[in-house]
Amino acid sequence: MAVEQPTRPTIADKIYDKMFHNYLWKSIFRTGYPNTPRNQMLVVATNVFLHLHPTRIHRTHVKITHTYCLGGLSFFMFLGLTITGILLMFYYVPSVDRAYLDIQNIQTNVQFGQLMRNMHRWMAHAMVILVFMHMMRVFYTGAYKPPREFNWVVGVILLVLTFLLSFTGYLLPWDQLAFWAITVGTNIAGSAPVLGPKSRFWLLGGLQVGPDALIRFYTLHVIGLPLLAAIFMAVHFWRIRRDGGLARPL
Amino acid sequence: MATAVVARPVARPQARARDEEVLVWPDLVFIEFIAAMVFTLTLFLLAFLINAPLLDQANADVTPNPSKAPWYLLNLQELLLHMNAAMAGVIIPTIWLVILGAFPYFDREQDGQGEWFGTEGAVKITIAAGLVGFLGCWALILWDSGKLAFFMHDWFGISGGDSLRFLADVRSFQTQLPWPDWSKEITYLPFNLKLLSSDAPGGPTQFQHLDFPGWIVEQGIPIAVMVGLPCIMIYTMWRIGWVQTRRDAVLALFSGFIGAYGVLTLVGTAFRGQGQELVFPWELKVSEGIPGQEAGGH
Repeated sequence: MAVEQPTRPTIADKIYDKMFHNYLWKSIFRTGYPNTPRNQMLVVATNVFLHLHPTRIHRTHVKITHTYCLGGLSFFMFLGLTITGILLMFYYVPSVDRAYLDIQNIQTNVQFGQLMRNMHRWMAHAMVILVFMHMMRVFYTGAYKPPREFNWVVGVILLVLTFLLSFTGYLLPWDQLAFWAITVGTNIAGSAPVLGPKSRFWLLGGLQVGPDALIRFYTLHVIGLPLLAAIFMAVHFWRIRRDGGLARPL
Repeated sequence: MATAVVARPVARPQARARDEEVLVWPDLVFIEFIAAMVFTLTLFLLAFLINAPLLDQANADVTPNPSKAPWYLLNLQELLLHMNAAMAGVIIPTIWLVILGAFPYFDREQDGQGEWFGTEGAVKITIAAGLVGFLGCWALILWDSGKLAFFMHDWFGISGGDSLRFLADVRSFQTQLPWPDWSKEITYLPFNLKLLSSDAPGGPTQFQHLDFPGWIVEQGIPIAVMVGLPCIMIYTMWRIGWVQTRRDAVLALFSGFIGAYGVLTLVGTAFRGQGQELVFPWELKVSEGIPGQEAGGH
């Protein structure tokens, strides 16, 4: 029986070799193209973004119906909102004189401005819904149970932060919808016993929604709350790994 | 005799079952990529088709009627129509968030994790409690809006007569029952937080008056309903053998919440018209308000 001889490299093999075995590629990615189990594990372990994941996970966790990707999609919405939000920040000035005109300007004069604003708005709604559904998924699969107690608490905090992020963004267009929604919303906060009026004053920087409220909401919306949410998200993701990955039956 | 107080050990992560594992690349990463693409494309499409709303420039003198909070806060705005503002807007949501966060510290069993529902009666508990929350909340809203009395009278010709008028809605307890005068001016001395509250009248020793009928309507009945009904529901489910573990009790509580929360958000969004009157969604109109004129309140 003839011993199998190595075949001559085809043209595809040569191209592959040139692309993934050259000095430049290896300086960036260290591993070869992830087409062998070894490289597939290395690529996850050595890439800072993919390293959020372990290299291998239990087979039940890749079933769509186990998680519906809800947590990951919530995070994806956060990333998308950051990108569209930064683009909107180029054109938007949070002053009572300019805010509304800037939004009109974004919609009419900026290329893809209307699209960016629409994306930002619908993604924000999607994030609120996805985060809430993620909470329901975690609850109904019993994934809050020990040892993941604390991560559930972090999740509840992230739910509140998501509401606050959305709420602070609501004022920024400075139209009638924004103004009165925030007036109603902050009146709800102001009804708290003892601390209500003070916290409402602190939130608005005055007795009613005005220039000071706009700059406060803007600052909280673009830096304060995203920073806080990012910190809690980091803890949330870290704890998933530390607590043994996604929950699975004992 | 040595007695040691040993703390209950904190649960540790499960051991890995390596022969049951798959590679993250490609098995998970590709799923995530597809999910991200599906959402990106869907949202792009949505953004192409539907523009984000932009009304007239903000004007503090023109109040739209009805004025509404963002949709995810309309559940609280709906609660506000039925009870004391501080309770509906701040105290209840805060207490609920604390209860929500405390779930895993109450239900500490590790059994049933990582699988949908997880206990024997979980599915029927979820459906039943969800329905109780959904229908119960609708019934309470209709009752407090006077709609139940309206339906009974106009559709079925049933009227409770004068003696039952106090049942027309929650507010009628205050207005239709023969409360003695003293009940409206019960004097008591609460802690007076003059330092924190800018509009608290009088000094720290001033006596306060409690309007008991008002308290019953604004706080007493709502607290009784919100604490009592879930307790009765879970107790009943326990007596008939549905709720057997703490997990079951938490399932019932959470599912009831989801039902009621959904109804509150829905009613606040789609069923509250001018002056926060209860209307059908297709009758819902927003008036932009007249400059200098306050919107009609409820």
